[in-house]
This record gives sequence, structure tokens and C-alpha cells, in this order.
Amino acid sequence: MSDYAVSLLVRIGVEAFVALSAYLLLVIGRVSFGQQAFFVIGGYAAGIATALYGAPLAVGIMVGAVAAGVAGALLSAVMAPVGGIYFAAGSLAFGELVRVALLSFHYQVPVGADLTGPAGADGFRGVRALFTGGVSATAFMLAVAGLVALTFLAIALLLRSRWGEAMRMVGEDETASASLGVRVRRVAALTMAGAGALAGLGGGLFVHYATYMEPGHSDVMLGVHSLAYAFIGGLGTPLGPIIGVALDIGLLESFRFLAGYRMIVFGGLVMGLLVVRPRGLLDEVAVHRLSRLVAWGRR
Amino acid sequence: MVDFLQALVDGVMLGATYSLLGLGFTLIFGVLRRLNLAFGPTILVGIYAGSHVGLAWPGALWAVVAATVVAAILCGIYVERCSFRALARQAPVVSMISTFAVWMQLQELVSLFEASRTMPYPSPAWLPALTVGPILLRSDALLMWSGATAIMLALFVLLYRTRFGTAVRAVADSSEAAALMGVNVSIIGAAAFLLASTVGGLAGVLIAQSQQQVTPYFGLWATVKGLTAMLLGGAGSLPGAVAGGVILGVVETQTLWHFGGQWRDLASFALLFLVIALSPRARSEPTL
Amino acid sequence: MLEVRDVVTSYGMIQALRGVSLTAREGEVTCILGPNGAGKTTLLYTIAGILRPRSGSISFQGRELAGTSAPDVVGRGISLVPENRLVFPHMTVRENLFAGAYVRLGRDRAGVEADLDAMFARFPILKQRAGQAAGTLSGGEQQMLAVARALMARPRLLMMDEPSLGLAPLVVEQIFQIVQGLNREGITVLLVEQNARLALSIAHHAYLLEQGRIAFHGTPSEVSANEGISRAYLGIKGG
Repeated sequence: MSDYAVSLLVRIGVEAFVALSAYLLLVIGRVSFGQQAFFVIGGYAAGIATALYGAPLAVGIMVGAVAAGVAGALLSAVMAPVGGIYFAAGSLAFGELVRVALLSFHYQVPVGADLTGPAGADGFRGVRALFTGGVSATAFMLAVAGLVALTFLAIALLLRSRWGEAMRMVGEDETASASLGVRVRRVAALTMAGAGALAGLGGGLFVHYATYMEPGHSDVMLGVHSLAYAFIGGLGTPLGPIIGVALDIGLLESFRFLAGYRMIVFGGLVMGLLVVRPRGLLDEVAVHRLSRLVAWGRR
Repeated sequence: MVDFLQALVDGVMLGATYSLLGLGFTLIFGVLRRLNLAFGPTILVGIYAGSHVGLAWPGALWAVVAATVVAAILCGIYVERCSFRALARQAPVVSMISTFAVWMQLQELVSLFEASRTMPYPSPAWLPALTVGPILLRSDALLMWSGATAIMLALFVLLYRTRFGTAVRAVADSSEAAALMGVNVSIIGAAAFLLASTVGGLAGVLIAQSQQQVTPYFGLWATVKGLTAMLLGGAGSLPGAVAGGVILGVVETQTLWHFGGQWRDLASFALLFLVIALSPRARSEPTL
Repeated sequence: MLEVRDVVTSYGMIQALRGVSLTAREGEVTCILGPNGAGKTTLLYTIAGILRPRSGSISFQGRELAGTSAPDVVGRGISLVPENRLVFPHMTVRENLFAGAYVRLGRDRAGVEADLDAMFARFPILKQRAGQAAGTLSGGEQQMLAVARALMARPRLLMMDEPSLGLAPLVVEQIFQIVQGLNREGITVLLVEQNARLALSIAHHAYLLEQGRIAFHGTPSEVSANEGISRAYLGIKGG
């Protein structure tokens, strides 16, 4: 497999986590433009754990996910009762707040002969655990793919459980679900923490693959893209966001003749799709039909 | 104390343009009950068009203004068609996502034509600076404030003193009742959109002549400023948007003076975040 | 004056009106009775041009109305006082009245100003509240505002949807006196009302709408004489 194909697949995997993170919030009826913040928080925390304190790769990535999950839980203290455009605007503000704050975040310690760590606008360079640990790019790609598959399964199971039922109810109508005994704020808070952890997991994986991360990675466009992925692939299944990522990065990015026009084509694609299928390719109806087809095939 | 006053004056002058952005946002949100996040990027395209015209015909200031406003209006029409009219039957959140798709397109469009990331924007250099006691009134800031105030006055006369204005406010208050009064709701929606784009384009002219340059980052910047001004004023209130813009401007310049440049953006994002966190309205509003 | 013939209106798959015919004669009060969900509001919205009928015809003063847009319907002299009043809550009372005259605001400013004074004379309470946001008015005041706002369009036919809804009995009485007064001045009224006894007391002709169809029609005394109807809508005493 070529290096380019491997890097493409890693990117698809990494952004799939951010897309799934945005998707989880869509399930509870919240549109977030700020999941990129958790991606960066996770990346910085994971990088600090491995590059500054010598934690093993797997532990570092876990630290990143936990840190972003905690950040999500903290944010939920403020944002869990907020809905609609206020949630969208608040998450946008939060994302930008994190980006601007990282511009003046310095935390460097001597590692060997050099100072390493987040250096404000210059970003966080020298996160080399992947290479010092001797993990090949292909092996890492396979690990990322495995993690995406596991996450997909976990979310699919979650959505089928009683918890998932509660999440969907909150997404449909908060007042009605509260009247039926759903603890709306708790569901929202836990979902926000979980969504934060997912994006943070993606950030921890990314920072080790790229060996660096900078405040610019908390660009609002990352958050928007991950939302768009869910709306392209479909809101009916957690497979939707993953398909959305694969379509955008795998297909559009590989069309070299689109260079310079990619966003215009991608934006147009999303716009057109929203008119034809406002809940994505695999919306609830499509998923229902497919599952009936599968059940019929089994018979 | 002088510092405080100077920052206050600067803040009010800057805030006037934020008020304009907030009014543009409020017009669209109030009438259509949907958020147009591509509002900033449409102005961005306008300013780039103005910048190119300024480079091609140095000195033709009116042409720069016209190009900026016309390009912003054209982009506004595009957004209205693609993200609002085509999606009128869908949930409001679908329109919001769609405006972000347009945002990506407009941002890329700008980078296709740009000569460099930072483009110059002409400003009328002949205007003098004024000093009132210890306070310095920069000419570009003065132009920004007086221009914005004049536009706001005209807008308020239009909205509160004319038949068209009555219809716009009636639709914003209750579109069903407005339809029963014989108001053509969809035409008023499109008209409000055009009006907002015009106001946005003019705000773009005033801001760009003050900064004398523009980067692609302006799109996000303008959207955040307008959204903050609108939400500070209580989402949907026209006088509220004016007040929200001024408050935002003052908070920014005070932070700039007392803490330094890197804190300015932090302060404005923190303000937006705080408003949402503390606003009782945000807590009662059902999901879109 | 208003002739509705075999009108069918549907929301998607659901037929709300399944062939309704009725006549509102000039100078009379015509009332439509019926249970919740019978299609009464749908009928008024169809006449008002907010909803489009799938089939059937609506003629007003001899001219076809079906398929005409709401602005044209108001322009031709039909105004609706909607259920729950639907005043513009953030606009002042005066602005609400101006909005009511929207269709003629452009060409007849002086006439609108004169009508505004006439409304203030007819409803003194509205004059007291002229500069107040309509959302701060009491229910009865809002209902008066809604009636006055509809009158600002100078309608020949006034349609009213549940004017008594949520109001105290005394206020309801007042509203009905206003309606009767307007009718005596020559305005034709089409009234939808849950309070059948009250509606029949001012009506010249009554229709009973059930499940999207006209189940019965006649004069108020004929309605009262029908045992089934009076039991269902007027209470046993009426039978």
C-alpha cells in the first residue's frame, strides 16, 4: 500500500472520530460547531503525556480522550440546558475560545537537549512517540481503522439500548421526554462528555501521526466539516458520518483536477444533498428499509 | 481615566459597525426564524470585489463601494435561493447547515481570485483626525461611526415608518397573522434578506476602509461579531442588536487597551459564550 | 355573498374537508358549529387563501375565490380574526392596527388614519393602550384588538374563529355584542364557535360541520328543534 493511501486512510479514520462526535450531539438534537476544540484538547493532552512525560503511546492517547471528555463534561455544566441556535452559537464561541487561548498557551519542559511542549502560536511540535516506539505507518493505520470499527459498534449498541432511546427522545422533544421521566440534563451532559472524548481520541491519534499540532487545528471548518459528514452520510446510523468522511476525503481529495475548487464542489454537494435528502443518504427511512431487506434475506 | 475614555470612544465607534452586522443578522433571523451563518462570508466576497476594483481603478472610491455592496447582495441572493427558499419546508437546522456549505464555497471563491492572502482596501485619506480635549478621534473611526449611524437611522425609518417596514416587523412577530393581514410572507422574507445583505455590504465598506486591508478570515470574524451583537441584544430585537454591537465594541477596545491585543478576541468570544451561558432565553428555547 | 361548493382540502394524506358546501348570505350572521377536529379552522383558512383547496369552488360576490392568494382575498374584502387572536405581540396596539390595514396602506394613508380614529372611538380601551406592546394586553383586550385589526382592512365579510376561546363569560358577552353591532352596520359575519348557545343567539343561519362534512344546516330554531344536535351541542336542556 502506498504511503499516500496510508495517510489518506489515517486522515479518514481520524476525522471519523470528530464526525461521530458531532453525530452523537445531533442525536440529542444539538448542532455543535465546536467539536474541533475537543479534537485539539485531546491532541495536546495526549502529546503532553507521551512527549513530555514519556507515557506509552496507548496510555497517551487514552489521556487525550479522557482530558477531552472531562472538558466536554465541564462545558456541559454550562451548555447542557441550552438548545437550538444558542447551543450552535455557544459551541462556535467555545471552539474559537480554545483556539485563541492556545495561541498564548506555553508549557515547555526540557526533554533531552531540547525544550518540548506547546509553544503558543508556534504550536506543539516534536510528538514522536509513534516513531520512537517503532510503530510502522501501516500498523498505525490498521489500529486507527480498528478503533473506528470498535467505536462504530459501541455507538450502534448504545443507540439500541435504553440509553440510546433516551438520547433520541431528548433529540425529538425535551419537554415531552422530561415528562416521561427522562433526565434530560443528565443525558445531555453525558452525551457531551462522550462526544468530547471521541473527538479527543481522534486528536490523540492525529498528533502522534503528524508529530505536531497547532492552534490552527481548532479551525471552525473542521467542526463544520464533521457536522456536514453526518448530514451527507445520513443521520439514521452511526455509519452515516463515517461514509461522509470517506466520500469527502477519499473521493473528492483524490480528484486532483479539483484542486482549488474542492470546497466549492464539496459545499455544492452538501447544499444539493440537503435539498434532496435533508437527513442524509442513510436517513432513518433508508436504514429501516435496509434492515428489513437484510431480515428478509436471512429468512 | 483618559485611557478609559479613549477606549470607550473607540469602542463606541467600532461598535457601531458591529451593530450594523447585528442588524443584518437580526433582520434575517427575525423574519425567517433561521440563522444565516454565511452572512459574514457574503460580506467577505463583497470586500474582495471592492478591493479588486480599488486596485484596478485607483481613486474611484464610489466604484469600490458599489462593487462591495453589489457583490454582497449577489451572494445574499445566492444564499437565499440555495439555503432558505429551497429548504423552506425543512427544519431550520437544515438551513443553518446549508449556509455553512455556502460559507465553504464563498471562502474558496475568494481564495481563487486573491493575489495574496491580505488584500488592500482603499480608504478616503483626505479626512482629518479630530482631537476633543485629550481624546483623539481617528478619521477612519469617525467615518465608521457616522456612516453606521446614518445607515441605522435610515434603516429604522424604513422599518418603523413605512408600509414595507410594518410588513417586515409583522412577519417577524407572527408570520401566520401577517399572512392573514394580506402580507405576502415569502416575498417579505426575500426582501428582508436583500435588505440585510445591503446593510452587510455597507458595514463591510466601513470596516474595510478602517482596517485598510482584508484577509479571508474576515468571513468568520464578521459572522461571530454579528451573531454576538444579535444574541447580546436578545435574538430578534432590532434596538437590541444596536445595543449589543456597541457593548461588544466597548468590551473589545477596553480589553485591547488594558490587557493587549491577544486578549481582544478572547474577550469577544468569552462575552458571546457568557451571554449564552447566562441568558434565561437560551435555556428556555426549544431545540430547532 | 359567499358560496362554498364541494370544497376538499387536505394536509398531505389527510383530508380535512371532504366536500363542504355552505352559503353566507349578505348582511347575515352565519355560524359554523362542530366538534374539535371537524375542520372548522381549515375551512376558514381555505376561504382566506392560506390553504389551497384540492377541488371545489368558492365564490365571493359572484367571483371565483378558490386558489386566490391571501393578499388578494383580503383585498377583495374578506378578513379573518384567527383563533387565539394572534396579535403581533411585540408591536404596539397602534402598529397592530396599521398592520391590519396593510393591503390599503400604500394607496389610502389618509383613510387608514381616519379608520384608526374610528377604531379608537369604537374601542376606547385600545386608545388607552395605543402605545403598549400588544402582548401585554389581557385576553379580552387582545380579542378586541384582533377584531379591530381585521376591521382596518374594511372587510365586507368578517370571519371569526372561536372568539370566545379562553375568555371570561362577561368578556365573551361583550365581544358578541360587538359582533352583533358590526352585523347591524351591514358587515356579513361568518362565525366559528364552540359556545353553540351563544352563537345561535346571534346567528341567522347555522351549519354543523362533522368530520369534514356538513352534517346539518338550518335556522337557529331548526337547529334547536333537532333533538340529536341540541343534545350534543346545547346540552339536554335545549332538546
